[in-house]
Amino acid sequence: MASGNWYDSAIEGVLLDITGVLYNSTDEGGVPIPGSIEAVKRLKASGVRVRFCTNETQCTRQQLVDKLQRLGFELSVPEVFAPAPAACQLLKARGLTPHLLVYPGVLPEFEAFDLGAKPTCVVVGDAADIFNYETMNNTFRKLLEMDPPVLISMGVGKYYRHGGELMLDVGPFTKALEYAVRCEAIVVGKPDRNFFLGALQDMGVQPQNAIMVGDDIVNDVGGAQKCGLKGLQVRTGKFRPSDEHHPEVRPDGFVENLAHAVDLLLQHRKK
Amino acid sequence: MATMSRLRAVLIDLSGTIHIEDAAIPGAVAALQRLRERTTNIKFVTNTTKESMTTLRNRLSRIGFDIKQNEIFSSLTAARNKVQEMGCRPMLLLQDSAKEDFKDICTDDPNCVVVGLSPDSFNYRTLNQAFRLILDGHPLIAIHKAKYFKRQDGLALGPGAFVEGLEYATGVRATVVGKPERAFYQEALKTMSCVPEEAVMIGDDVEGDVQGAQTIGMKGFLVKTGKYRLGDEEKISPPPEAICEDFPAAVELLLKEYL
Repeated sequence: MASGNWYDSAIEGVLLDITGVLYNSTDEGGVPIPGSIEAVKRLKASGVRVRFCTNETQCTRQQLVDKLQRLGFELSVPEVFAPAPAACQLLKARGLTPHLLVYPGVLPEFEAFDLGAKPTCVVVGDAADIFNYETMNNTFRKLLEMDPPVLISMGVGKYYRHGGELMLDVGPFTKALEYAVRCEAIVVGKPDRNFFLGALQDMGVQPQNAIMVGDDIVNDVGGAQKCGLKGLQVRTGKFRPSDEHHPEVRPDGFVENLAHAVDLLLQHRKK
Repeated sequence: MATMSRLRAVLIDLSGTIHIEDAAIPGAVAALQRLRERTTNIKFVTNTTKESMTTLRNRLSRIGFDIKQNEIFSSLTAARNKVQEMGCRPMLLLQDSAKEDFKDICTDDPNCVVVGLSPDSFNYRTLNQAFRLILDGHPLIAIHKAKYFKRQDGLALGPGAFVEGLEYATGVRATVVGKPERAFYQEALKTMSCVPEEAVMIGDDVEGDVQGAQTIGMKGFLVKTGKYRLGDEEKISPPPEAICEDFPAAVELLLKEYL
């Protein structure tokens, strides 16, 4: 690997995380991160291929796209890769019936499944307020009834930023269930290899010609690097100063925000 | 067996071993009386974190057990000792009944998090508050890390699952004060004037009770009540010293061969 800057390599495709990179979520919906709306437009206009890889599981892809369009972003549903559709694919391929521990907003993604039938697996998402002792205990018991227990986790993020505060993501709750049942979850979404590779395949770009831009150093940056992409860390969203010296992941670059990343990328292409 | 070394102290788990919620394990009250006729060096060691010492003793006495307060050594006591030693103001993820054991400890502007079995605290809002304190560098103390426990309506999630989740979210390891920590058993044996090799632990949790005790040199008896599930005895190495149907059977074995 040649030393030097991440933008010195031939980049044909960019994967963008959504929450914390395009916008910050709030109770009222969300606030665009300054410069991000223009950055996406400039990136697309330059001919670089773009896909959006999110671990958002509180709503359907359609709802997410509608919300982002209202904020001013240019994107469409087929460009968005999210864990719920990936989970549904896995359920269908294996003929599984899920017990869902998810936020109600994402339920329409699972309408193809008979949720009244005896479950053969558990699917956990970022259920936020739905996480409490009763729902966790109920899910724990469903897992105990399966032999072996099948736990599918839509992402394993530790936390995210919402309305100025850090909030627990799905990961801690998945780890809680894994610990109690002594099982290992199947992860769909980031940092699952198939998730990144699926998005790359869709835009016809090889990993070495692609870059992932994210605010989650482990799941966005580290996950992409393990698949052969470059990983770029933004200093927005859930970024914390301690991420600059992360014990496991060393990003290919740090940028202030998405606009900064796109500036560097496009300046280099024009040379 | 003639060569069997004599034991001088008996440690007994409570929930799942001599009672389940408000019901005594059949025959357990009488078995405890028979045991007391042979030895008075008995301690009840418990990871039941929902209940203060007083609540615990009142319940046991209501269902027929004759147990003195100073015979109980609980993980809540161990946690309280730890918080005092560290000079911390704890955010208590504990049920109200358990908070009684901390009533003279300041909890304003908390700078540490104590987690026990607290269904009322295991909600998103409270867990987020605890998470942020820990992420800001304040210590996490777990009363214990049990995966699950036996309730009258079946197995239920223990505090260990939520502690594990907070550890994962923050990258911080909890200080665990209850069973099966070595420090817990050493502390419990302190007032029993014997070495670990002269003591036995009877419990339904193959890891928390049996393995924990055997790690410091005690003998461990596993009872097949409470949270016991078929095949538990094969989960640890070395295996339990004895595997008994229930507490009365464990007492029979002790009286016949160990005391």
